[in-house]
Amino acid sequence: MQFWSYLIIRLIQAIFVTLLVVTIVFVVSRTVGNPEETMLPPLTTTPEDKERFRELLGLNHALHVQYGNFLLDLLQGDFGTSWRGGGTSTLDAIGDRALNTVKLGVAGVVFALALAVPLGIIAALRRGTTLDWLARFVAVIGQATPSFWLGLMMIFFFSVQLGWFPTGGAKEGFRSLILPAIALGLFELVAIMRLTRSGMIEVMDTDFVRTARAKGLSERTVIWRHGVRHALLPVVTMLGLSLGRLIGGTVIIEMVFAWPGVGRLIIDSILKNDFPMVQAAIIVLAASIALVNLFVDVSYRFIDPRIRAGAA
Amino acid sequence: MAAGTADAVEFQPGMRHRRIRWRRYIGLSIPALIALVVIIAGVFAELLQTHDPEFIDLAARLAPPVFDGGTWAHPLGTDELGRDIYSRLLHGARVSLIVVGIVVPGAALFGTLIGLVSGWVGGMTGQILMRVVDLQLALPAILFAVLMASLVGPSLTNVIVILLFWTWPSYSRLVRADVLSLRERDFVTASRSVGAAPWWIMRKHLLPNVLNTIVIVMTLEVALVVLAEAALSFLSVGVPPGTSSWGRMITEGRDTMNVAWWPIWLPGLTLLIISLTGNLMGDWLRDALDPRLRNLR
Repeated sequence: MQFWSYLIIRLIQAIFVTLLVVTIVFVVSRTVGNPEETMLPPLTTTPEDKERFRELLGLNHALHVQYGNFLLDLLQGDFGTSWRGGGTSTLDAIGDRALNTVKLGVAGVVFALALAVPLGIIAALRRGTTLDWLARFVAVIGQATPSFWLGLMMIFFFSVQLGWFPTGGAKEGFRSLILPAIALGLFELVAIMRLTRSGMIEVMDTDFVRTARAKGLSERTVIWRHGVRHALLPVVTMLGLSLGRLIGGTVIIEMVFAWPGVGRLIIDSILKNDFPMVQAAIIVLAASIALVNLFVDVSYRFIDPRIRAGAA
Repeated sequence: MAAGTADAVEFQPGMRHRRIRWRRYIGLSIPALIALVVIIAGVFAELLQTHDPEFIDLAARLAPPVFDGGTWAHPLGTDELGRDIYSRLLHGARVSLIVVGIVVPGAALFGTLIGLVSGWVGGMTGQILMRVVDLQLALPAILFAVLMASLVGPSLTNVIVILLFWTWPSYSRLVRADVLSLRERDFVTASRSVGAAPWWIMRKHLLPNVLNTIVIVMTLEVALVVLAEAALSFLSVGVPPGTSSWGRMITEGRDTMNVAWWPIWLPGLTLLIISLTGNLMGDWLRDALDPRLRNLR
């Protein structure tokens, strides 16, 4: 019962956020810019063309009518028609690319987690050693490195000079995925490692870890059962919160590695003045971020019993 | 372990104590020096430049830097259009300075205000304000930048507006969290009970107590804003072509990456050093002012 009311409140919040994003996109696109000026070539357009265009996109209605129609269309799954490429539905075009972006994002997070968690734990347990110092040094440098520059450097060294990986695209499957995933995941890696390290240091100093040691549990059990499990909670929260940053990151990395995902579709569409495509892709990305955040929040209740207890 | 050493330092008497106190500032001196150099470079770019940063000289294209067999005519070499990289780096510093100079104080001011109000008022208003703050997490700056660029074309104003919108919620979230605990403290309750106006309490009690947090976040945000501007410019949704920005220089250097290292390495290293500087200063400030914020990022 409690759970369901919580879920419903969270769902309403997610819908509210999505609606706000959609509204911002609508308001900004209708007030800051003028679609007919962005999308039509300025010199060869006659006034009649403009009129036809306005009618075609419904721009001749009052703004609130446009907004209503915009929302109704979105609800019916009509995200508009691409301005280029023979009038394909924007949603179809995005759907074609979505899987690639998801693949890249998941690979980036998996790479970050797989390295960051063990490194963070070891750095915390061997605090003050060379290894800890090295991990922190790498973290400071990693956090300051621009991901797009790192990506280009990796292409130069590993693809051009050494020829280990393709220079871009997604044609070689897993081999194509490695470099973009590393470039995307580095920033998260640093953040997760710092969080794991400080969480571990904190938890190993608590009373319940001392109790666990006092009752004679092996050090391994203490570290894994009592320490790591506890230290990883903030990591889960941070991963959920960093999803927006991650999606922003995929746009950059997709451009660096010519990865055929949604981010590259957006940038290519800007260059082609394909405004409906840009608009649809932004809405889809923002809505999926809201959805995943909802999922993280809900699943967090299962991971951390204290939240359930606190809500009761 | 580290905490124990720090305590021991506090109890050292006399000269030794003073010397160790001084050593704390050595960690700050190098980042501070770099920051000073960047500020001078950006402010006096015209005086320090050797060439017009946008002057195209195809005869001198891809000249190497002086330490890699080049001449002093172009101390850091030229890019594929023969533009002087040293002069472009100076003007790139100016772009970063302008963006940071407007975005960081602006976002701090607005974000703090919203955080104070939402933490103090609470209830429905506070909830609604926090949902607006959450928007930052749902709408990445890059998507917003892309939207603006597709509508009105890339411009410096766009970059500033977008980064303002994108960075203020960080302040709100932290300030609100601080205010929520402060408002239950005795000195605040006492003020309320004698009928102090909310605005007065915010100014006299809450603001001084959250100031440390704000200063630390501002310093840490510098690096973030510099990197974000570079990323937007790299995607050609940031500053327009014909402007020397470090991000743009990297985009333009990428075509000749295989034959010349300097057009892409020099702006990249500059960015790395600048954001490293910002982070180190932020970390230093945080340790000095408020160690409990260690998990900030």
